[in-house]
Amino acid sequence: MNDLERIERIKAVLGERAAEITNPSPQRIFLTVPARTLVPALEQLKTELGYRHLSTISGVDLGDVFEILYHFGYDGGNLNIRTRIPKADPRLPSICAVIPGAVLYERELQDMFGIIVEAIPDGRRLVLPDDWPDGNYPLRKDWKHVRAAEKIPGGKS
Amino acid sequence: MKFQIPIGPQHPALKEPISLRMTVEGEVIRDADLRLGYNHRGIEKLAEERTYLQNIYLTERICGICSHSHTTCFVQGVEALLEVVAPRRGQFLRYLVAELERVHSHLLWLGVAGHEAGFDSFFMYTWRDREVVMDILEMISGNRVHYAINTLGGVRRDIDEALRTKILDSLGILRARTDYYFKLGANEPSFVGRLAGVGRLSKEDALALCAVGPTARASGVAHDVRRDDPYGIYGEIPFEVCTADSCDVLGRTVVRIKELGQSYNIIEYLLRNLPDGPVAVKAPRRAKPGEVVSRDEAPRGENIHYIKANGSDKPERLKVRAPTLANYAATLARLKNGFIADIPLIFAAIDPCICCAERTVELIDGRSGRPTVVRWSDLRRRAARRAGRVSKKRNVECPL
Amino acid sequence: MSALKTLLYVFVYPGLVFMFVYSTFCEWFDRKVYARLQNRMGPTHTGRWGLLQPVADFFKLMAKEDIVPEKADKTMFTLLPIFGLAVVATAMLLLPVWHFNPAAGGFNSFSGDIIVLLYLLSLPTIIFFLAAWSSTNVFSTVGGTRVLTMFFGYEVPLFLAVLSPALLAGSWRLAEIARFFQAKPVLLLVNLPGFIVAVICVQAKLERTPFDIPHAETEIVGGTFTEFSGKKLAFFRLMTDVEMVVSSGLLATVFLGGFPGGLVLGFLQFIVKTLFVIFLLSLLRAATSRIRVDQVVSFAWGYLAPLAVVQLFFVILLKGFVL
Repeated sequence: MNDLERIERIKAVLGERAAEITNPSPQRIFLTVPARTLVPALEQLKTELGYRHLSTISGVDLGDVFEILYHFGYDGGNLNIRTRIPKADPRLPSICAVIPGAVLYERELQDMFGIIVEAIPDGRRLVLPDDWPDGNYPLRKDWKHVRAAEKIPGGKS
Repeated sequence: MKFQIPIGPQHPALKEPISLRMTVEGEVIRDADLRLGYNHRGIEKLAEERTYLQNIYLTERICGICSHSHTTCFVQGVEALLEVVAPRRGQFLRYLVAELERVHSHLLWLGVAGHEAGFDSFFMYTWRDREVVMDILEMISGNRVHYAINTLGGVRRDIDEALRTKILDSLGILRARTDYYFKLGANEPSFVGRLAGVGRLSKEDALALCAVGPTARASGVAHDVRRDDPYGIYGEIPFEVCTADSCDVLGRTVVRIKELGQSYNIIEYLLRNLPDGPVAVKAPRRAKPGEVVSRDEAPRGENIHYIKANGSDKPERLKVRAPTLANYAATLARLKNGFIADIPLIFAAIDPCICCAERTVELIDGRSGRPTVVRWSDLRRRAARRAGRVSKKRNVECPL
Repeated sequence: MSALKTLLYVFVYPGLVFMFVYSTFCEWFDRKVYARLQNRMGPTHTGRWGLLQPVADFFKLMAKEDIVPEKADKTMFTLLPIFGLAVVATAMLLLPVWHFNPAAGGFNSFSGDIIVLLYLLSLPTIIFFLAAWSSTNVFSTVGGTRVLTMFFGYEVPLFLAVLSPALLAGSWRLAEIARFFQAKPVLLLVNLPGFIVAVICVQAKLERTPFDIPHAETEIVGGTFTEFSGKKLAFFRLMTDVEMVVSSGLLATVFLGGFPGGLVLGFLQFIVKTLFVIFLLSLLRAATSRIRVDQVVSFAWGYLAPLAVVQLFFVILLKGFVL
C-alpha cells in the first residue's frame, strides 16, 4: 500500500473529521484533526485501519496555540496526526482509553507545556521534580529561566 | 505483611538514576511505581538555542551507548530539511557505525543481563569481546563512546583499505563468540532457570503499550524501523527481523543474540559493497521553514526525532523520544506479581538507558536543589577553570 | 607448661593466628581461581601475586568508620560478628589435623565431634539471620528471610550426605572416620554422590553463587550485610573465610580420607585437600548464575535430599550385606 492509497483510505474512514491531509515527503503523512474529535478519530484509525503503534506525542508552542502531534508508526512509514489547542485554554482529551501506552507521553506534555490532559489515568508529575514551582512550563517559548544566585551551604552568606 | 522497597535512585542494579517503588509481600511484588527525572539535562530546550551543527554534538550526548543512533536520527531529519543528500559512501559509513554500535550495545546488554542474574563469568566474557567492537569504533572514529562521526551531509572520517580488511577479519572472531554465547545462554541451566518465564509480556500487551525494539520483538511483534520505515540505505540491505514467541526475558536475550548475527551480516554487506567517492557534501546553514519526522532503529528500539525549522539556522523545536521511554509502561506492567529477585532482570531486559529517556529540561543544582540552566559559555569557563587547577603532569603512567 | 601449650594451641597454631593466615590465603586462592576462570587477573597488587590482598582488605575495613543504625538492636548488632567469629574459630579446632595421636582423645577429638562440628557450622546461618533482623533495614530483612528460607533447603541434605560416611565407618568421631577410609581407600568411591551433594550444600551454606541470594547486590543491595561496616563487616568477612576453610576441611576429612602422615605430611595433605575442595567451590561459582530462593528450596528437596537419602540407603545395604 503506498502513501496515496493510505491517504485515500484515511479520508474514506474519517470523512470530514480529516480537516487536512498532506504528504510532504515519501513515507510521511500529516493529518490534521480537531481536538474535539481526536479520540473518536484515533479509535477509528486504530480499529479500522490498524494504526495502533504510537511512537510519541510532540508538543510545539506556536505562540497563541499549542500544536500537538501524535506520531504513529505503521508498516511502511509514519502517520502524524496534528491537532491544535488554544494556549489560553490548553485542554486536551486523553487518548489513553484508545492507546494505553500513551500515558507517559501525556504526563510529559502536562509537565512541559502545562497542557491539561482531561481524563488522564495517572496525572502525577513525570519528569519535573516534586518541588518544581507551579506555573513554570519549561518548553513554552515564553519561559526563560532566571538563574538563582549560587549559595554554598555552610559558607558565608 | 506489605512493605515498600525502594529500588533507586541509587541502587547497585541500576547504572543510572531512576526510582522504582516496589510494594512487596514477602518475596512477591504487589505493586510497582516509577519516578523519573533524576537525569534531566534540558536538551530539548537547549537545542532551540543551538545551530543545527552544534545540535549534532548535543544529540550525541543524549546517550552514552546509543549516541550514534541519536545523531543519525537528527542528521537524517536535518538533511531532509536542508535538502541535501549525503553521498553514498558517507551513508554506508554512517550505517556501518550504526551497526557496529548495535553490536557493542547488545554485547554490553548481554553482560549486564548476566551480571543482574548473578552470572558474572558471562558478564566478563561478553565485555571482553565487546572490546573488539570498541577497538574498531575507535579506529574508525577516534573515539570509543561519542564517535562524533556524523555531520550534516555525510560523515567526518573515511576508512582505508587496511581498516576495511581488519574489520572484516574481526567479524570472524565476533561470529564465533556470539555462537558460543547463544549456546551458553540457551543451555546453562541456572541461567535459563532465571530467565525463562520471567517478565511475561503478551503480544497484545506489547502492541497496546506501544513497546519497541527487542522488547516488542521478543513478544512476537515484528516491528523494526529499518524494515518498516526504511531510512538511508536500509532499503537495499538484505537482513531479517529477529523475533521470538516466548514473551519472556529469555526471548529478549535470544532476540538480541540473533540480532547480533544479523548485524554482522549487514556490516559485511556494507564493507563488501562500499562504494567509492566522497564521504560528505557541504550543507547550507539555514533551513527553510518546515518540519520533519525522522525515525531510526537504535539498539534498544525505535528512536524518533521531530524537528521543526523556522527559517533560521536554529531549530524551532526538537522533540526526542528515545526507545527506553516507550518501554517503561510495558516494564511496570510486567513487574507486578513477580519476585523481588526478578526486578533487576525484568528492568534490565528493556536495556534501560535512563539518560536517553530523560533529556528534557533542567539541570538541578545538587547543593541548593534549585534548578539552573547552565549556559554554554559558562560550561566552557568552568571547564577551563577546572583544567587550570589540575596539576600539569603529562605522560605519567597510571599505576594499576 | 601445659598452660603455655594450651595458650599456644588456642592463639597461634591451630588457633587464631594460623586461622587468620590460612583463611585469608584461601580467600586469595578462591578469588584468584574465580578471576582466572573469568579471564581476569584477580588480585595482583598487594604482596607477591596479590597474596596479601585479603589481609589488606581486612585491615582496611578495621580502620573504617563503624556505623550502627539508630533503630538497630545495638547489643545484638555489636555482639553478633564477634560471636560468629568465635563459633567458626571453635569449629576449626575440631578438625582432625592438629592432634597426631588419633587414639588419644581430648577436648578436640571425641566421639560425636562430627555432630558438634555440624552444629557449629549451622550457627553462622542463624547468626546471619539475627544480624540481618537486628539491623532493621528493609534490604537486610529481606536478606534475613532469604537466609532462613535457604537454610531449610540445604541443611538436611548436607547432614544426610555427611552422615553416610560416618555410618559406613561406624563412628561419630572425625579422626576415626578418616582412619577407616585411610585403611580402605576404595570405599571412598562409594561416597561420591554424597560428596557432590555436600559440595553443593556447602556452597549454599557459604552463600556463594549460585546461592548468593541473601546478599544479591543487584536485587537487595547488600542484603544481610547492608548496614554493617568497619570492624563488624571485617569480622563477618573473616568469619565467612574461616567457615569456608572449616567446611572444606570437614568435607576433606569425611570424603577424601582425612590427613594422615603426622606433622608435616598431614599438614600438607590438609592444605592440598582443602584447596581442592575450595577449587571445586570456585568452579561452581564461576560456572553458574544466581538462582531464585524458591528455586533453591525446590532444587534442594527435589534433587539433593533424594540423592542423599539414596546414598544413605546404599551405605546401609553395603554395610549390612558386604562388610
